[in-house]
Amino acid sequence: METALQKVVEKRSGKHSEQDKVGMLLNKIIAIVYDSLSIIIFIGIWEIAPRVGWVPQTFISPPTIIVSTLWELLVSGILIKHIGVSLGRAVFGFVCAAVLAIPLGFFLGGWFKLFERILTPVLRLLGEVNPFSLFPIFILLFGIGEVSKISMIFWVCLWPILLNTITGIKNVDELLIKSARSMGVGGGRLFFKVILPATSPNIFHGLKTSSSVAFFMLIAAEMIGASSGLGWLIWNAQTNYQIPILFAATITISALGLFMNYLFVILERKFISWKENPAEY
Amino acid sequence: MKDHVNSLADKLIDVSGIVIFFLLWEIAPRLGIVDGQFIPPLSQVLLAVGKLAADGSLFIHIAASLQRSFIGFVLAIAVAVPAGFILGGVFPALSRQLRPLLRVFGQINAFSLFPIFILFFGIGEVAKVSIIFWSTIWPVLFTTIVGVQNVDPLYIKSARSIGADKFTIFSKVILPGAAPVIFTGIRTGASHAFLMLIAAEMIGASAGLGWLVQNSAVNNIMPRLFAATMTIAFLGMTINYLLYLLEDNLLDWKQSSERG
Repeated sequence: METALQKVVEKRSGKHSEQDKVGMLLNKIIAIVYDSLSIIIFIGIWEIAPRVGWVPQTFISPPTIIVSTLWELLVSGILIKHIGVSLGRAVFGFVCAAVLAIPLGFFLGGWFKLFERILTPVLRLLGEVNPFSLFPIFILLFGIGEVSKISMIFWVCLWPILLNTITGIKNVDELLIKSARSMGVGGGRLFFKVILPATSPNIFHGLKTSSSVAFFMLIAAEMIGASSGLGWLIWNAQTNYQIPILFAATITISALGLFMNYLFVILERKFISWKENPAEY
Repeated sequence: MKDHVNSLADKLIDVSGIVIFFLLWEIAPRLGIVDGQFIPPLSQVLLAVGKLAADGSLFIHIAASLQRSFIGFVLAIAVAVPAGFILGGVFPALSRQLRPLLRVFGQINAFSLFPIFILFFGIGEVAKVSIIFWSTIWPVLFTTIVGVQNVDPLYIKSARSIGADKFTIFSKVILPGAAPVIFTGIRTGASHAFLMLIAAEMIGASAGLGWLVQNSAVNNIMPRLFAATMTIAFLGMTINYLLYLLEDNLLDWKQSSERG
């Protein structure tokens, strides 16, 4: 009883704050380690299995070797160069698609409803076409240079963004628009204060979908025909049988993908803060 | 009568976009608006489809592709659904532990793993089937765990209080309760699988629709390239539709399964 009372008093007086902080930090570290225990164990097995000889080391390199390869690539600047090239392509195609698709979606969904109804089946059909099978056609039309890769990304990003924007603007609650209008809001303000925020969850969903598809396609496109970029790095490592580099590139790609996903979740939370569970897709 | 006309007009509006698109596709190359060598008119593409169908090779390629994706897909479901039930239902703590790992696995670009799969399994069927398996298993496993854990505990409790045994609870309560979520995973898995299949066949195969695309591109036979592309799109849509149909039939207790 007394000790409990003492603790309360001590806590109030802030005597132990230093110790508490350390304790809290320790708890936090323990919690993080506990949460990622499966990953740590997995990496541990991955390290041990090739070294002991459960799996051939020529096929699967242990993580320590991969990390040191990664470090070498990083220090020599090769990795940064390839990441830059890949990201440049992906971002360029993605931004072009977003810049075209979002306004177009607003126009189609908001103003030209009949036109939208006629066009939607075509858009769905085009979005359904497997982008891989279009790749040869893109190469024929645009050559094997940058343009074909960027237009490929553009193509795969366009459809999810466009279709989601159209769905979003069509599903804006009529009541919101009417009540805003009845309060005398019109034109640009109506658009920016009501329609745009109400549509943004759908737009974000489209952007997120297309960013992951874009990255996927980019790697594929670079593996099929490129002279730089992460996909090329994988392809090159495979043909030259440099397995650690192969794994290092794969890990880099996955990390980049996770990072982009995370970025979108943060952006979404920031922009759609009015929605209760924005990341629940 | 008027309603009839109206609904007919509605249908006409709905299909008019597709019709106009196909007409443009036919006319534009013929008038030289786009290069007919690169984009052949629709009639030539359809002719190519007919030719492929007539000599039976189209069906061989479709069968090869479907067989690969089907084996990989079914294997993945056969592993992932029971594993998901066991993890989600019996070992919830373990499944919480495994969650980050599963997330990382699902995030790994299956395409970048392709060389590793080839190293392991050679360039034969096994590599292709296992890449399908890999790209299907993670979404299905993940959604199964989530589905099992999101079954309302009240249902389970009330079933138990009426005296239902474990098997009945599983087959009558947990399985139907988790099924809608599992289906979302299966649909995602199916579309991933089909995408990856075509890619895998384009890189290394001697039959299949992806091979047909690649071969036509290499030999510059454009109508056949478009014919294969159209077949792939059509097949993808059919698979999607079949899964919807299956879902609607299996989940008929659900008032309206979401169409997304």
